[in-house]
Amino acid sequence: MSWVTNAIKSSIGRKFLVACTGLLLCGFLVAHLIGNLLMYIGPEVYNNYAHTLHSQEYLIKIAEVGLLVLFIAHLWLAIEASGRNRAARQTRYAVKKSKLPNRKIPFAITPENYMLVSGIIVLIFLCIHLGDFTFNLTMPEKIEGLEPYDKAIVIMRSPISAIAYVIGSLLLMWHLWHGATSMFQTLGLRHPKYDGLTQNFGPVFATIIGLGFATFPIYAWLVPYNPPAPNPDAPEAHGEPDSHSMNTIPAWQPASDRNELPG
Amino acid sequence: MKLTLHIWRQPNTEADGEFKTYELPDVSEHMSFLEMLDVLNEKLISEGQEPVAFDHDCREGICGTCSLMINGQAHGPDRETTACQLHMRRFKDGDEIWIEPWRAKAFPVIKDLVVNRSAFDRIMQAGGYVSVNTGNAPDANSTIVPKQNADLAFDAATCIGCGACVAACKNASAMLFLSAKVSQLALLPQGQPERKSRAINMLKQMDEEGFGNCTNTNECEAACPAGISVENIARLNRQYVSAVLTSRD
Repeated sequence: MSWVTNAIKSSIGRKFLVACTGLLLCGFLVAHLIGNLLMYIGPEVYNNYAHTLHSQEYLIKIAEVGLLVLFIAHLWLAIEASGRNRAARQTRYAVKKSKLPNRKIPFAITPENYMLVSGIIVLIFLCIHLGDFTFNLTMPEKIEGLEPYDKAIVIMRSPISAIAYVIGSLLLMWHLWHGATSMFQTLGLRHPKYDGLTQNFGPVFATIIGLGFATFPIYAWLVPYNPPAPNPDAPEAHGEPDSHSMNTIPAWQPASDRNELPG
Repeated sequence: MKLTLHIWRQPNTEADGEFKTYELPDVSEHMSFLEMLDVLNEKLISEGQEPVAFDHDCREGICGTCSLMINGQAHGPDRETTACQLHMRRFKDGDEIWIEPWRAKAFPVIKDLVVNRSAFDRIMQAGGYVSVNTGNAPDANSTIVPKQNADLAFDAATCIGCGACVAACKNASAMLFLSAKVSQLALLPQGQPERKSRAINMLKQMDEEGFGNCTNTNECEAACPAGISVENIARLNRQYVSAVLTSRD
């Protein structure tokens, strides 16, 4: 299998894997965004989706491990490639100007020149996101026992979280702006007939994903919302739904309705 | 016109280099950039100083020997123009011009503005050829080549190997050069028998020489005096991946 290791160590092989893992992560982002957009249809739909998703115990575990491997591979290969790139130019130019027609500033603040920086910031944001929603570390007392919809709204109504989520989404957009176009070139998918499509795919995809995710914290602040009283008896928001939770009046219902609960 | 030149001076590969400033009081706008450097060198020699070493050969824009980073741009400000074809009418009286060598780990400075580009020769030696002697010119149309492929192969073959792509790339990557050399043969029937080993071996050599990766910024295409397209890099990526997956070596 030395041909595999040789290929992975080669500059093209490494970049090819960065593009492949990036493409698969893009697929995850699309699925995640579509799932989150169900919030806008209604709390019930979103909660049903979340419960159904998390009831697939084995699939979820496989998906989580798969995503972790993809993230680590994407980042590790990119860091390695970046290290080689820095080593390839030991003395910097005193003056450097681009000859690209629309770019007059040297290494301007454009997405392609800051992929590693934006990628690392997105990774930090991802850690915050997992801490909030998966490991319930940020505000455990406030979200304990809440339904997924309520949990999302409560977390994103925290000012720090809201700012972090908007900035994180916009940096993801910045990263995808170049990455989602560049991957076609790296994968060798280039033809004059489709150049226009692939050149515009990155910016359009990045805008949809980035702005799409950025709408959720804004929605959390705009939507009229009465925070439900925490219900310590209810199951974990990400736990498997049981008959008890199905019979409980959902927490997103007005407080007046909850007061009418029997018992 | 009167010019102020900031030129990188470095006695040899091991020594540290530095910028030295020279004033040229009477530069004709009709001079080429290299002729302007000739005038500077005559002045330096007459003053008993060491002349500035810079690479040049044909001075017709076809050999790829000249290699100057002029005000931060490979071969100067013009698109698809080598430094020897750049003329002083492009500058104006009182301009300051910064002149540096190509900067890449794989292109060590030999002296002043002259860099060692033999890394490109070693990449070519790793597979940039057709091993079989093709003999005399065959009868017309005995080997059919689609016109579009012939044109694309010719476009790739116009690479003069000057190294401007490496100089302009923020990663000092030689992918545009390598992709042109792989493409010019991959598009023609004569190149097919060694297609796979060529892509694998030439890339291996490029990596060993210490060039960087491609991050698709397209700076190489903009700086290339021969107008080589980055479409060739996509072709190289396809060639390499298919070679790795299907080669029996």
